[in-house]
Amino acid sequence: MFDVIGRNFVFLMGGLLTTFELAILALAGGIGLGMLVGLARLSKNPWIYYPITAYVNLLRNIPLILVIFWFYFVMPIITGDAMAPFPAAVIAFVIFEATYFGEIFRAGYQTISKDLTAAAFSTGMTYSQTARYILIPIAFKRMAPSLITQSIVTFQDTSLAFVIGLTELVRRSSIVDNMEVRSIELYGFAAFVYFIVCYTGSQISLYYENKAREVNLI
Amino acid sequence: MIEINKINKWYGDFHVLQDVDEVIEHGQTVVICGPSGSGKSTLLRCINGLEPFQKGEILVDKTSVKDPKTDLYKLREKIGMVFQRFELYPHMTAMENITLAPRKVRKWSKERAQDKAMELLKRVGMVDKADAYPANLSGGQQQRIAIARSLAMEPAYMMFDEPTSALDPEMIKEVLDVMVELAKAGMTMLCVTHEMGFAKEVADEIIFMDKGKIVERGTYDDFFNNPQTDRAKLFLSQILD
Ligand SMILES: Nc1ncnc2c1ncn2[C@@H]1O[C@H](COP(=O)(O)OP(=O)(O)OP(=O)(O)O)[C@@H](O)[C@H]1O
Ligand SMILES: [Mg+2]
Repeated sequence: MFDVIGRNFVFLMGGLLTTFELAILALAGGIGLGMLVGLARLSKNPWIYYPITAYVNLLRNIPLILVIFWFYFVMPIITGDAMAPFPAAVIAFVIFEATYFGEIFRAGYQTISKDLTAAAFSTGMTYSQTARYILIPIAFKRMAPSLITQSIVTFQDTSLAFVIGLTELVRRSSIVDNMEVRSIELYGFAAFVYFIVCYTGSQISLYYENKAREVNLI
Repeated sequence: MIEINKINKWYGDFHVLQDVDEVIEHGQTVVICGPSGSGKSTLLRCINGLEPFQKGEILVDKTSVKDPKTDLYKLREKIGMVFQRFELYPHMTAMENITLAPRKVRKWSKERAQDKAMELLKRVGMVDKADAYPANLSGGQQQRIAIARSLAMEPAYMMFDEPTSALDPEMIKEVLDVMVELAKAGMTMLCVTHEMGFAKEVADEIIFMDKGKIVERGTYDDFFNNPQTDRAKLFLSQILD
């Protein structure tokens, strides 16, 4: 029954590789940008606070699939160049996920007392040194469970990139399905692969959550 | 020398500092006391530029804190600050807490910063806790590490904001001992504290603040034995029992 998987295994796994590549770039970019978005959301400078807040509110109220479409179809009109699906998907995901990670980091920064920041400033550290060595690492540790959960969501969301023709796991499953008409096995297999990856991720998250509670270090 | 010249600060309509005047000479220890909300913490935060103020002037070694051309980061390097709740970096060991600013701000090598840190850990009696995280240290131990962290930048001034008021009674002395030793070694210090024993031992001057104003100032004996205002008399009777 699952012979269709066996015959197309290499092709399907190639799709999983694309899924991973997209997810890793989306997460690296989304988390990296999110750290800064979170800082900007707490900025006292209105020139930073308002534009970034508008960006966050806009993106968080648009479905991801439209953001992906927008980058793929509208960007070429603006730039005059057609974009390949993969870079278009990476940019759309980074810009979209950064708003979600940004809100997680903002919550993390808000757990840090005003006096702790003052302590860092009182030793002569600049704002960017304080952000880099104090605020970001503390927020990272305190928000680890939420960051992992959001990373799992991002990983699942990468399947949406199939709408612009990115040949990731779901797209490749549908390509095989079009030829062999074995939907149940193919989409069942894809679901199974997603489940394994995400379940492992959520267990890791749980482990850290328990550990953080036990040690109560930070 | 720190010169505070008639500074005034408002939070909205609330006049939190009113015509505060004070000069802290090199090597002096000045103790600030007063009821909660009288503006003591705010005054310290104005001195190292953590809070802006609207009127008046503060000069630290003749450098204006208010002047937009002043490099506040440079200025803060020479004013150490110790907080009520220690405010150690929770994700770093005691050693890392102490060496961070010398390495990143002063660009010292790791070895040099660690040598300095060990010397300071010895001074505050915490050598065996160099690799401990703050969560595993008692309040008194954390506060001594926090003092060492400030001293690592080799400041010319030290400001303390109620450094012992979050501590259990048995730990207060270990922190005060460090502060007394510092004062006697000639550090210029500005201490918000209600520890009158400490004030008696090292304070050159005591300032009493109420509702944003300095309402009384003098030596320990002046203030303690002969308070002029009713507010100070009431305050002293409250902290003495
Ligand atoms: N950011 C702020 N905005 C508005 N009001 C503030 C702010 N910070 C402090 N205040 C007010 O200013 C007053 C002085 O505060 P400050 O912390 O300097 O007092 P304090 O003398 O240090 O008191 P405590 O002994 O409680 O530490 C208080 O009434 C406080 O509520
Ligand atoms: Mg205070």
